[in-house]
Parts: sequence; C-alpha cells; structure tokens
Amino acid sequence: MTIKRRDFLGHMAAGSAILTMPAFLQGCGVQTATAISGATPENPFMTWFGVDQATTARVMSELTASGADTADLYFQHSRTNSLTLEDGIVSAANSSIEQGVGLRVVVGEQTGYAFTEDLTMPSMLAAARTASAIASGSGEVAPQSFNPLGTGNLYQISVPWSDVGIDQKLPVLKFVEKKARSMDPSIDKVAVYWADADERVMIATLDGHLVTDHRPMTRITVVVTARKGDEVQTGYSNIAAREEFGWYTEERLTTMVKEAVDRTLIQFEARRPPAGEMPVILASGASGILLHEAIGHGMEADFNRKGTSIYSDMIGKKVAEPFVTVVDQATIPRERGALNYDDEGNAAGRTVMVENGILKSYLHDKISAKQYGLQPTGSGRRESYKYSPMPRMSCTFMEDGPHTKDEIIAAVDHGIICETYTNGQVQIGAGDYTFYVKNGWLVENGKVTAPIKDVNIIGNGPESLKRITMVANDARLDTGGWTCGKNGQSVPVSQGIPTVLVSKMTVGGENVS
Amino acid sequence: MSADLQNRAVQAVELARGAGAAEAWATASQGRDVEFEYRDGALEKVKDTTSRSLNINIYAGGRYSSHQTTDLNPQRLQSFVAEAVAITRALEPDEHRSITPAELFNGRPTVDLDLVDAAVAGITREQRLAWCEELDKVATAHDRVISATAGIYDGTLNSASASSNGFTGTHAETYCWYGTSITLMDQGDKRASDGYYVGGQHVASLPAAAGVAQTGLERALNRLGTEKGPTIKTSMIVDAQAAGSLIGRLLGPASARRVHQGQSFWADLIGKQAFSEKLTISDDPLIRRGFGSRLFDSEGISAKYLPIVENGVVRNLYVDTYHGRKAGMAPTTGSASNIVIAPGKLSLDGLLKEVGNGVYVTSWLGGNADQTTGDFSLGLRGHMIENGEIGRPVGEMNVTGNLRDLFSQLELVGSDVYKYSSTLTPSLVFGGVDFSGA
Repeated sequence: MTIKRRDFLGHMAAGSAILTMPAFLQGCGVQTATAISGATPENPFMTWFGVDQATTARVMSELTASGADTADLYFQHSRTNSLTLEDGIVSAANSSIEQGVGLRVVVGEQTGYAFTEDLTMPSMLAAARTASAIASGSGEVAPQSFNPLGTGNLYQISVPWSDVGIDQKLPVLKFVEKKARSMDPSIDKVAVYWADADERVMIATLDGHLVTDHRPMTRITVVVTARKGDEVQTGYSNIAAREEFGWYTEERLTTMVKEAVDRTLIQFEARRPPAGEMPVILASGASGILLHEAIGHGMEADFNRKGTSIYSDMIGKKVAEPFVTVVDQATIPRERGALNYDDEGNAAGRTVMVENGILKSYLHDKISAKQYGLQPTGSGRRESYKYSPMPRMSCTFMEDGPHTKDEIIAAVDHGIICETYTNGQVQIGAGDYTFYVKNGWLVENGKVTAPIKDVNIIGNGPESLKRITMVANDARLDTGGWTCGKNGQSVPVSQGIPTVLVSKMTVGGENVS
Repeated sequence: MSADLQNRAVQAVELARGAGAAEAWATASQGRDVEFEYRDGALEKVKDTTSRSLNINIYAGGRYSSHQTTDLNPQRLQSFVAEAVAITRALEPDEHRSITPAELFNGRPTVDLDLVDAAVAGITREQRLAWCEELDKVATAHDRVISATAGIYDGTLNSASASSNGFTGTHAETYCWYGTSITLMDQGDKRASDGYYVGGQHVASLPAAAGVAQTGLERALNRLGTEKGPTIKTSMIVDAQAAGSLIGRLLGPASARRVHQGQSFWADLIGKQAFSEKLTISDDPLIRRGFGSRLFDSEGISAKYLPIVENGVVRNLYVDTYHGRKAGMAPTTGSASNIVIAPGKLSLDGLLKEVGNGVYVTSWLGGNADQTTGDFSLGLRGHMIENGEIGRPVGEMNVTGNLRDLFSQLELVGSDVYKYSSTLTPSLVFGGVDFSGA
C-alpha cells in the first residue's frame, strides 16, 4: 500500500544494457520452440513461448480438472536493461530476463496459484495440478482453442528496445551528465541511471480468449549533488513512459535535468515550515499522489469485498464538492500506467471513482466483479507471472475544476504549496494516509514566499476529500517513474491533478513551542 | 541440491570465460515457497511455487556488468552469456572495477549458523490448515471483527556461488512465518486494523499460533478510537518493533558508496562522537539462527563482526570493494547482515515510568529522510504516554527532525529486543522531539 519513486539505489544493483548484434538477437530476439514436438503455432506470441493451441488447451484442462469459476495461464517474458553513470563514466550495466507462466484457478473467492519457469509440458502440467488443488469439484470443460483478441495500440513503438544498442544509449547518459554540470558551478556529483524494458505477455483464459500484449517501458533518472562550503544537498528528477528511444529528445532531457538542478539548489535556501494543521495547496501534476493514497487504494475492490476499507459502505454517497471528479484510466497512450489489457485479460478502460462529488465505482478484478454482480473494470494487475492478480490503479487523476491557480494561492492566508514528492502510504481501514514533500513553498497572505523542504503530510482520506475546497483548470499527468506496491507486488502507475486546495491537513514541521 | 547449484554456478563461470570474460562471478539459486491464506473461516489462497535464477557478473577489459535470467535452457543460456560479455565490452573502462580480491575469501568462518530446519520441507497441507484454523478462531473472537486473514508462509532457499578466481560457497536457509491481519469496526466508517506475525528458520521455535493471533487481536483492539494527537515538543519512545525501520533510515547512508557519491550525512564521521553515547550498533553476521546470518557476503567477503557505532562514536561504514577502491577505504562488507543495537537495562514499563509523559510510537506511516542532510519527517501511530502509563491511542501525526540530531538525543535504550527481524533493537527513547498533529 505504498507508492514510491523507483529506488535508484536499487537500480544500481540492477544496471544493464543491450546490444544490436547477431549473437544478441539470436539469444533474445527470437526464441526457438522448447520441448514440444510437432508444434505448429500460428500466433507469434505462442511461437515466442514455444507453445501451441493444443498444449495450452491441455494445460488449461489440467488446471481446471477439479473445477473453476475462472482460470488463466499468464505467460510472460520480460527483459530489462539498465546502465549507470557515476563519476563521469558509464561503467556498470545490467540485463535481466524473467520468463515463466503463472497458473491460476479461482473458485468463488478461493484462489489456487502456481508458476513455473520451465515452459515444458511436464513442468506446466505439474504446476497446473498444484494450483488446481484449491478446488474439489468436478472438472470444467476447458476450451480446445483460444481465440486471439485484437492487439491494443496504446504503446506501439517503431523500434523495439532489443534493437537499440548501447552505443546509442551511452551518449544520452553523457548528455544528461554534461548538461547538469553546466547548469551551476556548485554541482559536485552527477549520477545518471537508465532503464529500458520489453515485456511480452500472453494470457489464455478459461472462457477461450487469447490476449497478447507487448509492453515497452523506459526511465531515466538524474541525481545531482551540489556543494556550497560545508553544506551538501542532493536532488533528483526522473521521467518514465511506455516509449521508444526517440522519446528522449534533447529538450525533454534538458527539462528533466533543469528540474533536478533547481530542486537541488533551492534546498540551500529551503527551511522546514511550522508544524501543525494548515491549508495545503497541491501543485498540478505529481500531487496526484493525494488521489492515489487518499482514495485510490481504498477504492480497490478486494478491500471492499472484504469490508476492510473505509470506503466499503460509501458507494452512491456524496464524498466531495460537485467540482471533484476522480478517474482511473489505463487507456492513456504511452503513459507509465497505461495498459491495453489488464493481467486477467480484460480490456483496460476508464473508471470514474468519484463523479461530481459522488462516489461511483470501485476498481474491480474478476473476483470482486463477480461478487458485486458487475463487469470487471480491467483493473486486475500483477507484478509478474510469479503473482496472482488483484485490483490496482493505472493512471489516476482528477479532472479540471472551476478555479484558477492564482485564485487558489490568493485564497490562502497562511499555508504551504507542495510541488515534488518521494513517496506516500495509506492505511486502508482507518483511511489515514501520508505523502512526503521534497520541495514546496510557504504561502503567506495570498503570496508565495519562502521555499520549504522535507516534510511529511498526513491526513484522513474521506476527510481530505471533503476539504477540497478549490480545484483549478490546469490538470496534467506527471511523467515521473512512479511504482505502486501492494501486498508485496510492485506495478508501474501514473498520476495527475490540477492545482487543488485542501483546507486543512497536518504538516510535519519543526520549531514546535 | 547444493551440489547441483554449485555445478551450475561453476559452469556459468566457465561459459563466461569461454565467451571472453577476463573474470566472472556466478550465483545459482533455487527456492520453494508455499503460501496459505485463510479468511473468515475458509481457505482463500494457496500458492505453491518453485523458482530458480542464475546471476552472472562479468569483468572484461576493465569493464563490469551483471546479469540475471530465469531461462536456463542450455542453448539460450549460452547466447545470453555471449551477449552479456558483448554488453560489458561496449561500456567504458573503469580502473576500480575488478573482481573481489581472493584474499578477502580467506578466513571464512566454519560455525554452524543453524539456518536450515529439515522439518520445513515436510510441513503438510493439514498442518498449514490446522495453523490457519487456530489463528482464525482466536483472531475472530471479538464482536467488532469485520475480517481477519491468517497467513502461513514457508519455504526453502538454496544458492551457490563460484568465481573465476577461486571462490566457491553455498548458502541454504528455511523459513516459516505465520500470523494474522485483523480489521475491526470503529467509529463511523472507520476501521481499526493491525496484526502480528512471527517467524523463524525452525518450525519448533515458533510460539503457538493461538498466542500469536491473540497478540494480533490485542494490537488491533488497541487502535480502536484512535484520534489525532497534538502538535507538541516532547519525549518519544519508539517501540522495539517500530525501532527497526528507524535504525534502517539511520544506517541507509552509512556506506562508502553513499559517502563517495556525496549523498550521506555519515561523511567524515569515522572516529567522531556523532551520536548519543547510549548508541552502540554492530553488524554481526554470525548469530545462530539470525535472519541476516551468513558466512560470506554477496561479493564473497568472509563474514566477520563489524562495529559501526560504539557509545556514539562512528567506527566503520559498509564498504564494498568497488566503492572502497574509489573512496580509498578498506572493504568491510557492502551490505548489512544482522544489525544489533546494544540493549539497555529497562523494560518497556521501566522506560514508560522513566519518561513520564510523551508519545509512544508503535508503527510508522510513510515519511522519508534526506540521506545527504539527515532531515526526516515520518507519519506515526501510537499512544500518548501519561504519568508513566500507555494512554489514549493517537494517529494522524508526524514526527520531524534530523536523524543525526535525533540519535544525539537518544536518552535511553530498553532491554526488550524485538526478535523477528534481522535488525535486533530494543525500544528507544528520544528527548525533545517535534510532533505535529492537531
């Protein structure tokens, strides 16, 4: 139940890189079929995983031999490459391949799950028998073949990451480093972390569908350390998307570097705000973290079907002013949280969680949708083949409201503006949530005055929704590399918001008398 | 198992050398994990998995890269390794990148860390169900319970490493954890929730499931009626279970890597009185049945006791071989094993009496710290301390300050070490802390 910036330290260890060369393409670009003889697969994803219709049907049949309400085979191959620049040189790379199939059987609210990284018939059948042990009824009639659904087009890229060589990526890291150093003489250290990933997913479902999705992802992070006398400050920025190499234009990279440098240098002047309750202005963009924590998690229907969320009994009730509309939408092209299909094979979509102040819909997976007698909202996601899916957010944002940013600032006598964040967390039952503000400003008598830094903000979800008293018309999605963690599973997400005023929140601060 | 994995690691090193690596390090690992979750009288989830992976670090021409794969098909593995070597060659040379010097492999301890319990592999479905039912029965025995989930998590991890300069070694451990998460109806739409889990390498070492569930229920009941606490400067007792993550934040930048990258408030502190003299921290990899125990670290460096802070004076940092070379520091180990906070004499009750009034923190909610400056701000849940007793439950509060200052204000260390973590710390008492609330 936490959302946090991808830990670039963690990424260090997982650095990596790719080359365009014959050995490479042979190794990773095209796989030869595994031990299934006589396979004549027609689907390119089936070819990739070395299975065919008959094999898949046989495994599905074994998986559902003791009964199933729903069942799926989740084949996945993901390759991640990363590069690290420290002290002026790109001297570490990492590559990682994860391949496997996850097998799931659901009976009512009961789930049986197993996976195998060995995509041979005996291993898949053994895993199917393990997962099927949850059920004790009579066998389902498994489909004999799986009907391919159309491929989505939210993030088609012209050059796959496997065709982008290290020789192309190195100059990007070098450019970022030089740009950062050129921006201020106090800059002492610059580190740049690069990651790109290609993921292939193929989901065969009990209702006879075959969903395939090719999901690219890339992210670059710059960390800047500046030194003035004895004082040292560090700041960073990153951008991430389901994009291709050409996305990294000089302009986009320069904007990111400037953000990191500005965030670092302002900390030499920034202080802690006074502690306690006060009005909080959330700047447009990354402040969507409010929605993710204050409402998004509490609207995930697994918590609600169990009755453990503070929102469990609130559907249809007024939770905010009429100008507040909060949406979770996976179908925004190329966003980090975008998905053509969710990880249960449902078409991804748009779910209005709060419409004009009224609580409208939870985020459902197949299990909760069945329990509530609704259609899934395409929110069933999982970190990888190693995990069973559950309801998750994708791109969560608030729509534009009737006010302007200037009106909002002018309305605050004594409060703060929050601009950049590192992480947040929520307690689903009590509704208390927090987010950590890295950079912001004091607002005094309707004017932005001094910079602030490093304060945690804490509030209660439903209370904060009620206290959203102004919403501006400048909504935008943040391009940062946000990752959401829940029950041990991490998934990429996006978030956004217009400038918003919350009339009262508790701000961590110093100088308590 | 270990012999198979050792062979796999040795073969991977040979493969890398054959593909042109000057030096190589490989680790092959395999694990089995079983998960049972049981909610409100019925089994909800059963997960039973066996996974495997191969990691290879390659050194070639003054260059370095690391690679992982779960695809062990021999043909594809060969091309994976060939590609890994090619990737390495495309990087820039770095004089500090080289394989762990073989002398650091010397002196590997031979003590039995007792990390494997053969009984774990024999845990039956019936046993897991019996634990679930016992946990569920106690956890749901209150009329405010909305939902309780009992969880059993057990498994085995085996790994083996080999290097081109003579390292071989294996590591194996088993684990078994169980406990419950409980949600209670509170005022209005609010739910109070908490839980409790225990674990260990040895099944027989675990306390009875019923008692674990009882503790979980009591922890959840303690959250009922939580209200926002005050904005106040006062003393803070951090409960032993919550203290682990605070120690983690303190030690996060205590590494050669962070210091060399200019991202650490630990820079230039070795030999200095940086914290309260009540603070003594060591890294001890050789604790029998410790959750972080090991005979060698991920670079193959033989495990040894490492003092970090003695009576507030900084003695050592975590130094890996690469950043040690860069920073001119002798390698210690790049990663923590068991972090041990030297305990004091007072029980939690004794600490409460000593403190009199303040805030007792039982868990954190979000927050973060700037590792360069040590500035932190954390959300918390806990209780007010009133006249030496645990008082009303409070939440929706932050504590804000600077980590170096905070640990200079460490006034007392308890005797109540929390057992179920690789960070072994008792409750900690800090004076003059800034809280923000209502």
